[in-house]
Parts: sequence; C-alpha cells; structure tokens
Amino acid sequence: MSARPQVDPRGPRFAAWVTSAVLVAVLLTGWWPLLAAQVVVFAVGAFASLSAAPYSVLYRVLVAPRLGPTDEREDVAPLRFAQGVGFAFALVGTLGYAFGVPALGVVATAFALAAAFLNAAFGLCLGCETYLLLHRLPGSTRTVSDH
Amino acid sequence: MTGALVALGTLLVAAVVGFALRARDGRVRAREDDTAARVPAEVRAALDAGARVTLVQLSTTFCAPCRQTRVLLSDLAARTDGLAHADVDLTDRPELAKALSVLRTPTTLAVDSRGVELLRVGGVPKRENLLAALAPHLPG
Repeated sequence: MSARPQVDPRGPRFAAWVTSAVLVAVLLTGWWPLLAAQVVVFAVGAFASLSAAPYSVLYRVLVAPRLGPTDEREDVAPLRFAQGVGFAFALVGTLGYAFGVPALGVVATAFALAAAFLNAAFGLCLGCETYLLLHRLPGSTRTVSDH
Repeated sequence: MTGALVALGTLLVAAVVGFALRARDGRVRAREDDTAARVPAEVRAALDAGARVTLVQLSTTFCAPCRQTRVLLSDLAARTDGLAHADVDLTDRPELAKALSVLRTPTTLAVDSRGVELLRVGGVPKRENLLAALAPHLPG
C-alpha cells in the first residue's frame, strides 16, 4: 500500500461531469454568480480538502452507494493540482463577467470547460500531464503547487 | 447565442483533442537523431548497472497516470531478462525536463547500459508494443 492519500477514481470523474455541466450553463446564461459558485467549489478541492469538495460529497451520498466498491485508487495530489488550475481559469472568468469584460469571461470559462470535459469523457487530466510545461512558464501556477 | 456557440465549439475541439491524445498515448518513438548522445548524468545515475536496458520513467507528483505506468513497468521489468525499471521525479527539476525535451508525464525512456536513449514512450505504455520495440536490444 502506498502511504500517499488516495481516492476512488470514479469520484473525480463524476465531479468532472458536474463541473462540465455547470460550465456549459455558465456559457449559455452568462450568469456570473454561477461561475463564482464554481470558483468556490474548485477552491475547496484545491486548497482545503478534496473529500470536502461539494461534488465529492454528492458522489459519496448519491452515486457511490449505487455502485459496487472498487479496489482501484488514484493519488490525490494530481487531482488537487487540477482543481487549482480550474480555480485559476474560473476566477479569471468570473472577474471578466462581473466587471464588464464578457469576452474574457467567455474565453476563460471555455478553457475550464475544455479541461473538465477532457477529464470527464477521456479521463485525461491536462493540467497534470502538462505540469512540466506549465512549470516552465514565467509566473506560472507555482503558488498552486507549493502546498 | 454566442455562449451556446462557444460551448458547442469548445466541446467539439476538446473531443478532437481527446481522441488525438488517446491515439498518441503509449506510442513508441525511436530516438530522432543518430548522434548516440548520452542522457544527462542525473538520469544515468538511475540506470541499473546489471541490466541491458533500463526503462527510466519520468514522473511528477501531479501526474495521475504515472501510478499506473509504475505498476506496469515494474511488472514488465520483473518478468523480462535484462530489463530494469527506474523512476525519476521531475516535479522540482524543470531544467532536466527541458534537457530531455519532455513536455508531459509520464514519459518513459528506454536507455541502454552505455546511457544512450533507444526509444521513448509518451503516456501509459502498451505492454506488447513496448516489448516488441525493446526485443532487438534484449538478450535472447
């Protein structure tokens, strides 16, 4: 057994689907308070604890009891990093919508949606796989990875 | 209206990217140049002196498929004569990633006992393809 914290990998996939749906709704309505709520969701997962993140709670209460248990486990660190990347995009998007720069809001939300959808549909975590690439950019996501 | 088009466009582009990445995942690529240059010393330090070929897995803390790759490669090394597995964490060594031209993790390098890279695999390797590509470099 690995000592690193791990979770049932189906939880994050479920959360990615919910995130995708929320972000599509944001793009359709342009209603920024919904995106602001998603920022909070990302923040809880990235900076507080993954198991306290609202969609994880939803998964444990509603979905997990209907599925069989699994021995498959996934490390928590990459997932939290991905939530941090989502947080950054959603935050920029919220500020864009809220302060009258809807184009910025739309673009940032679209990037967050692309990443969430790739995770949900393909199990791909772009933020994780390209961590090295992000790391090389000046002023990058270093703050997210430092905790 | 714009929002709906953007949402649709984003999902389409993401789907194309997803299929493209999935198709590329695990593909074996031979070394591109013929210089037979040796890999950096930090990587050579991880080589198994007793093995013909060491599979050097490049990982980061934030890489989800690295775990799966680790299980696969260590099993492959244990079952194959002359093959070893080593894990190099690049999380805090972006300069090494740059020297190796590695953009994503996991990337696996097959390195011979001289320290020369034979081939590399991006993403989770496919067992059969990797074994077939390694066969000319292994005993028997």
